[in-house]
This record gives sequence, C-alpha cells and structure tokens, in this order.
Amino acid sequence: MSDHEKVVPFDRGQRQPDPARVAEFAATARKLQQEREGAAATVTRLLAETPYAEWPKLAQREELRNSGALDELSREVVSRVDRVPLESLAIAQLGTAVADSLSASSYPVVVLAQIRAQAWKDRGLALCYLARYPEALEAFDRAEDALRPFGTLAHDRAIVQFARATTLQEAKRYDESFALLGECKTIFIDHGDTRRHLMCGIAEAALLHRMGKFAEARTAYSDLLEQATEINDRSLLASIHNNIGHSSIELGDYTSAADHLDRAVRILTELGQPLHVARAELARGRMFVRKGDYETGIAHLHSVRQQFLKHNLVEEAGLCGLDIVEAHLLRASTIEAEAFAWQIVREFTAAQLNARAITALGYLSEAIAARNASVATVQHVRQFIRNLRKQPEAEFVATA
Amino acid sequence: MNTYLRIVVRWSSIQNGAMTLLTNHLPDERQFEVVYAGYFDLLVQIAIHKFRVPDSEAETLAHDVLISYLRKSHDVIELRPWLVGAICHASRHYWRLNSRTVPTDAETDLDRADPASVRILDSLPDQLAAREALECLNERCREILSMRYFEGCTVIEIAERLGIKPKYAQKLIAKCLRRAETLYGEKGKMQ
Repeated sequence: MSDHEKVVPFDRGQRQPDPARVAEFAATARKLQQEREGAAATVTRLLAETPYAEWPKLAQREELRNSGALDELSREVVSRVDRVPLESLAIAQLGTAVADSLSASSYPVVVLAQIRAQAWKDRGLALCYLARYPEALEAFDRAEDALRPFGTLAHDRAIVQFARATTLQEAKRYDESFALLGECKTIFIDHGDTRRHLMCGIAEAALLHRMGKFAEARTAYSDLLEQATEINDRSLLASIHNNIGHSSIELGDYTSAADHLDRAVRILTELGQPLHVARAELARGRMFVRKGDYETGIAHLHSVRQQFLKHNLVEEAGLCGLDIVEAHLLRASTIEAEAFAWQIVREFTAAQLNARAITALGYLSEAIAARNASVATVQHVRQFIRNLRKQPEAEFVATA
Repeated sequence: MNTYLRIVVRWSSIQNGAMTLLTNHLPDERQFEVVYAGYFDLLVQIAIHKFRVPDSEAETLAHDVLISYLRKSHDVIELRPWLVGAICHASRHYWRLNSRTVPTDAETDLDRADPASVRILDSLPDQLAAREALECLNERCREILSMRYFEGCTVIEIAERLGIKPKYAQKLIAKCLRRAETLYGEKGKMQ
C-alpha cells in the first residue's frame, strides 16, 4: 500500500445550504437594501413637515413602515436625545408604534425581532435621558422579550443590556449595572466587537467615578488607553483622556488632570469636534477654580463661554457662566458675581429660554445682591437648570 | 447631563451606526450572497462539531445567524469573529432550550475535528500537498500529524503513544496543523 493510499480521508464534505433558504436570504438582503435607499430623506422630510404634536399620526404612513425608515428614526432618536430629549422620545414612540404593527410576514422572524428590539431599546434610551427610569427599564424589557426566543441574537441582546446597564447607573443601581456590564463585555468580545467591549470598560470606570472611587476609576480608565489605541478609536480615546482628567481633578492631581485634558483637547480638535473641545476646556477652567487659581479660571471659562455662544448654545453658555459666578463668589467679588448673574438672565431672556430657568437665575442674582448667596446656591440653581431638560415643568424651590 | 457624563455616555452614539464610519458603504446584495456561501458551511460545522447540535438544527441556526447579519452589516467590523460568536451563542442557547438527552461520548468528542483545524486542512490543495507540508515541520509535529493523518490514529491513541493527556494531544495536533499551513505557504511563495 502506498503512502498516498494510507492517507486517512478527512471527509467532512462541503455542506450545501437549502436553496429555499438561500432564496429567502437573498430576498431579505435585497429588500433591506432597497428600503435603506432614500429612507433618510423620507424620514427627515416627514419629521420636518409634520408638527411635533402630530408625529404619532406618522405611524400610519406607508413610507415609514419598513426597516430602512425605522433605522433612520432610530438615528433621529439618538441624535436628538442629548439636545431635545422630548422630541427624541416622541420619535422613539413613533418607532415602536411602527415596529409593533409590522405584519409577521413582512420579514423573517429573526429580522422582525431585531427591528422591534431596536425600536424599544431606543425608546428606553430616550426615557432614560428624561430620567424616567422605571419606564426606560420596562422598554428594555420589551426589547429583550422580542429577542429572547432567538439564540442567534445574543449580540443584539447585549446592546440592549448595555443600554439597561447605563440606565441602572443613572438610577443609582450600581451593583446591578456592574454585573450587567460584565455580561455584556463577554458577549461583545465573543463577537469580536472590540469597540463595544471598550465602551463597557468605560462605563465600568464611570461607575467607579460615580461611586466616588476616583483612584480606582482613574486606574480603570488608564487600563483602557492601550485598548483604545489598539483599535484606533480616536473618539473613545479622547473620552478616556477627558475622563481621566475628571478623576484626576477629584483626586487633586492637577498635573495629571491638565495632561490628560490636553490630550483630549488635541484629539477632539483633530477630529473637528469644537463643542467637545469646549466641554473639555470647561473642565480645565473648573480645575483652575478648584485649585484656587481664580483669575486664570475665570479667564479660561470666559473663553469657553464664548465658544458656546458662538454656536448659539445659550443654555450651555449660561451654565458655564454660573461657574464664573461661582468663582467670583469664591474670591469674594460679590459685585462681579451679581453683574454676571444678571448678564446670564438677560441672555436667557433674549433667547426665550424656559421661564423657570430665568426665574431661578433672577433669584440667584437677587440673593447675591442681598449677600445671601453662597457657592451652594449657585450649584443649586445650576442643577435646577440642568434638570429642566428632563423636567421642563419643574418648579424652582429657593434654598437660601 | 454634565460635561463628564456627556462624554462618558456618548455610548448612545454607538448604538446606531457610529460604526458605519468604519465601513464606507454597505455590501451589496451579491456581497451578502458571497458571505452566505462562504460561511454557511463553517457555521454549520461549528454547531455540529463543537456543540453537538443535530445537523438539521445546526443548519437552521447557521441560516438565522446569517439572516441576522443582514441588519447589522454596517455595524460589524470583523465578519468572521462576529459570525462565529453568533453561532456559538446560538448553539449554547439551543442546548439551554433542549437539554441533552443523549450522554456525550468523551472519545467521540475528542475525535471530532476542531472546526478551526478543519479549515486549515481544507486549504491544503490535496493529500499529496499535505505530505509535502509535513516535510516542512519539525520532527515532533511530523510524527504527530503522521500518526493522525497517515496512520489513522485517534487522538486517544496518539496521546497514549506520546504519554500525554488526550486534550493536550488534540491541542498539539491543531498547533502542528497551523504550523504546517504557515510553513507550507511560505515554501510555496519561495518557489
């Protein structure tokens, strides 16, 4: 017997897929592809030409009843959630209405589950930004319910769980969030999704920061730098440097804080994200104030404020202005503090911002004039104005 | 949300398409079909050989994994690890729903090919090429692969002859196969 004949056949055969399944796959690919084309323009147009109050009626529009349009609605939810969370929620509600009403035969069951889960996950996201945590968690339950029967959708489920973990952080349910992030990390890495794996690491470090474990948070962030560099995600790298800066400020390590904020600013500048640059610079301004260098801090905060005003972000400029008021109070410059507080009132009035914010700022200005204001008063007003994004109807309660 | 959280929680951006930045355009329909043809068999083999999922169920799982990829194509950076991760999770889920009724046979398990190695052997053009590849290896690897593929020894028999544990023997086989592929490839380039 020759050597060749002695060879043990390694016969596993090339398994041929069922032609019916190949046809289903090809048809689904074609359908999804076609639906993507033009969906962005359709969604943008419909949202623009329909009054906000009538957005729920859009669920009946045939051109929105497909996967492509739902993907675009999802993008709208995410892009607005930080700036206009109520609009974001309205779009998310539209998304769930459309997704839930799609007929069972419109897509393969796995795809339909993905579509519905994404819509409910987005709704949870918008609710989270509005601080409606129990409702957000219920929305994530709905998303997971849609995915549960399909073991093939572990990655989708991890994305929902990641959103849930972030919401649990906001709701101060830290232990649950931490456990969930660990599970998500495993699934993401199993799927080779290094970016989301890194995001989980950042969320874990953020959790430590929120818990006041600043040294542990800084270590956790620092451990992620290599991974972010490795996957060449400049945006996440900038976030990590920025967050190390924040943790370092809390630890009183201003040299490290300045170094990491510098790096964050450099990367964000290269990425062409001026607003994120301004936000990182805001942290640097606060750092100067924190370490008692009021003059430098005030000058720095003024330049940051100008950046926000340049982009017509009056509210953000006002909040930055409150940092300046706080710095003036810390150095006992009451007159400057009062004058600046009034200036913010005028800016808010001119921009027709929420009347409740103007009331709170007016109260602060008068309290400063009456020598009743402290740093705590400024912080209370700042917190109230921030919360108005989530609860626009909230009433201001004076503290002094 | 303050500045710190705003930057931390930019997670929202990854939920829907920030990864599209990494792929300039979506694969067209034909590319999807190439993916199906290219990966269906691998996914089925993983489900069957690694997780002992019954054949017909394995094909259904592989099909579902590939279908689910359609909506995530813009989001997947590396296709192969994503698909393999998905089929592994799907297979485990299958067994969670259908608890094992047949006890596994340890010996049969060990004799089943590692799916990663299966692909390596596939890449060798024919059995003669495999013998040529063996010549590129060091003595130990040559001996191990000869026992396995020329003498027809089982993993357990190889382990006994080498005085090592079967699991380790299985690892050595896979390692030697990878080495054979690398060295044989290099040899080919030189020629």
